[in-house]
Amino acid sequence: MSEDRECLNAIQRLYEFLDHELDEADADAIRAHLDACEPCFDAFGVEEALRAIVKRSCAAKAPDTLRMRVVTHISSTVIYTQGDQPV
Amino acid sequence: MTLPVDSDFDVPVDLDAETDAERSARFERDALAHLDQLYGAALRMTRNPADAEDLVQETFVKAFASFKQFTPGTNLKAWLYRILTNTYINSYRKKQRQPQLSGGDTIEDWQLARAEAHTSDGLRSAEMDALDRMPDSVVTDAMAALAPDFRLAVYLADVEGFSYKEIAEIMGTPIGTVMSRLNRGRNQLRALLADYAREHGLGKRAGDE
Repeated sequence: MSEDRECLNAIQRLYEFLDHELDEADADAIRAHLDACEPCFDAFGVEEALRAIVKRSCAAKAPDTLRMRVVTHISSTVIYTQGDQPV
Repeated sequence: MTLPVDSDFDVPVDLDAETDAERSARFERDALAHLDQLYGAALRMTRNPADAEDLVQETFVKAFASFKQFTPGTNLKAWLYRILTNTYINSYRKKQRQPQLSGGDTIEDWQLARAEAHTSDGLRSAEMDALDRMPDSVVTDAMAALAPDFRLAVYLADVEGFSYKEIAEIMGTPIGTVMSRLNRGRNQLRALLADYAREHGLGKRAGDE
């Protein structure tokens, strides 16, 4: 494979590689290319860093009121199903 | 000597002998542990906190009602996400009418451009430092601009780290569809973030012009 073809192949499989969805042989071929090609190595690093940013930015904490609503529903349902007469 | 116990998997549950109270305690312990993550996903899907709370509440009500049918030791988190996704599609999606990017191929050449010029047309390492400092709202706004199916696929992969197979099960689509949504959604998201970096002059170094 020519150098350009190798780079194109690596970039096209960038997502699958970082998602750990490639089989070992294909992943090894990508790793070998990254060892030899600094621009591709850089591109993979940028993608990895972007994922960390996306993950960090989307982190959320559920409001306490929501947790209480869910817990209240669970406990009231237990009382309902265990009691002989629904209230 | 006692070995550490992973409560999700190693405690056998006798479903026939389990009382309602025991089941609800198990639900509260195992399922509620995922509340923050499901809320985060709901927030991305609905794009507003009030709807996100209602969606998560409805999800947990449904999950609790069918918890008896859930097989302990299988993937509880994926099961909860599947209920969340179905609930969203059935109840919320129709009423949401906000502008977003088309599902078309407009930014399909992002990957090709990246291949041809490597990172010179995309995000350079130098720009990453600036992106690292950008407000979370820039990313969440960019996420909000994606089509719903793309946004959910990207969220499940990038934020939750689900495998393609798990995402396929959660979204009820073939793996090929997951990969296509993921590719397009990620390309669009990254292109939007690259635009932001350029518009705000991030990453420009002395001598660049």
